[in-house]
Amino acid sequence: MRRRTASAAALALTAVLASALGGCGDSDSDGSDGLSVGSAYMPQPVSDSMAAGFLVIANDGGADDRLASVTSDLAGEVTLHTTVGQTMGQVKDLDIPAHGELVLESGGDHLMFEELKRKPREGDTVSLELRFTKSDPIKVEMPVKSATYQPSAASSSARSSSHASHASHASLSSPSAARSPHSSHPSQSSHSSQSSHPSHSSMSRP
Amino acid sequence: MRKKTCTVAALFAAATLTLSACGSGDGDSGNTVAEVSAEAGSDRAATVLDKPFEKPDLVLTDTQGKKYDLREATQGKPTLIYFGYTNCPDVCPLTMNNIAVAKKELAQDDQVSRAEKDSLRIVFVTTDPERDTSAALGKWLKGIDPDVVGLTGSFDTIQAGARTVGISIEAPTKDKNGKVTSMHGTQVIAFSPKTDAGYVLYGEDATVDDYTKDLPALIKGEKP
Repeated sequence: MRRRTASAAALALTAVLASALGGCGDSDSDGSDGLSVGSAYMPQPVSDSMAAGFLVIANDGGADDRLASVTSDLAGEVTLHTTVGQTMGQVKDLDIPAHGELVLESGGDHLMFEELKRKPREGDTVSLELRFTKSDPIKVEMPVKSATYQPSAASSSARSSSHASHASHASLSSPSAARSPHSSHPSQSSHSSQSSHPSHSSMSRP
Repeated sequence: MRKKTCTVAALFAAATLTLSACGSGDGDSGNTVAEVSAEAGSDRAATVLDKPFEKPDLVLTDTQGKKYDLREATQGKPTLIYFGYTNCPDVCPLTMNNIAVAKKELAQDDQVSRAEKDSLRIVFVTTDPERDTSAALGKWLKGIDPDVVGLTGSFDTIQAGARTVGISIEAPTKDKNGKVTSMHGTQVIAFSPKTDAGYVLYGEDATVDDYTKDLPALIKGEKP
């Protein structure tokens, strides 16, 4: 559903948009690797004892990588968990396949934050650093959403508005890309697009 | 150079691929949810059972440390029951918060009488009674909705009760590092005030909207 809407928009908005969108998930501007992080959020936890976090790590590169560890300003300990059936269990690392993605989502794999230093509230931001087996670490600013937030639920008006802004940003706010689809400054559209997308975590490399 | 390859790929590949690369990351399960919500009525979160479950004969301890006889206390009252545990960062709080938010929405509904609203019982039965004492349950539920009935007791009793409504849970296990792994139920069961039978199931992907839409029917014992 969401993807269909998006693809219609992408088709209508010419190659400029496609180029800009392609660029936004592409973190190869610094030449190191092909990992990028998006869709990060933390549901506001019930108590100050533990919290979960979700995000998607896309791997545009040709080599597999693994999410090896996570640290955060919020928690004394951040662990990687998978959910198999009804059982949640800790794992050492998680695979990020080449030309694929690692999806941490509600009901599936997730980050578990323990020994919280404060209780995160909706509107707060939690800072994380993701470390990988091969790639350089990535810093992520993870927004805290409502306790019932579901990124793909139809009820979230944020979804449609984030799409609108995604499109408008790609077409309007990347003048260099708009003038020339094959801009010689891809990193400009790439970076601005990433950082100002409201539903994506902002991302930077240390 | 690499950039140009990317652009070309983006043009030729479906836009889905492009967007996934951007990390919009709606996973497959997300799509299912979106489809359910997009076509209201055709593909519901609720599963109405042909053969309803009898209410489990559970006598446990509530958050005040008092004896709570589930059948006796909820007789003739619309009741939602979920089996979960408080050291659960994801599905358990999400499920309980979805119901709690839907209950708040119900409170605003003028079509539903005050008596009907007050009759709703939401029951959380722990699957990890060793860690979820009355006090621990009470503290956790206070962060969700203090009106929720939180129940604890012996694991065997809880497991047997869950089994009668088709929910299979195993006792928490502790690994060599002392990490406890617990299980939660996969479904919320709605019991009718008319028959006291469990006649509707909700899976983990049921949203606030699903519960909000269905609660007015559930509290009357009607099919959502």
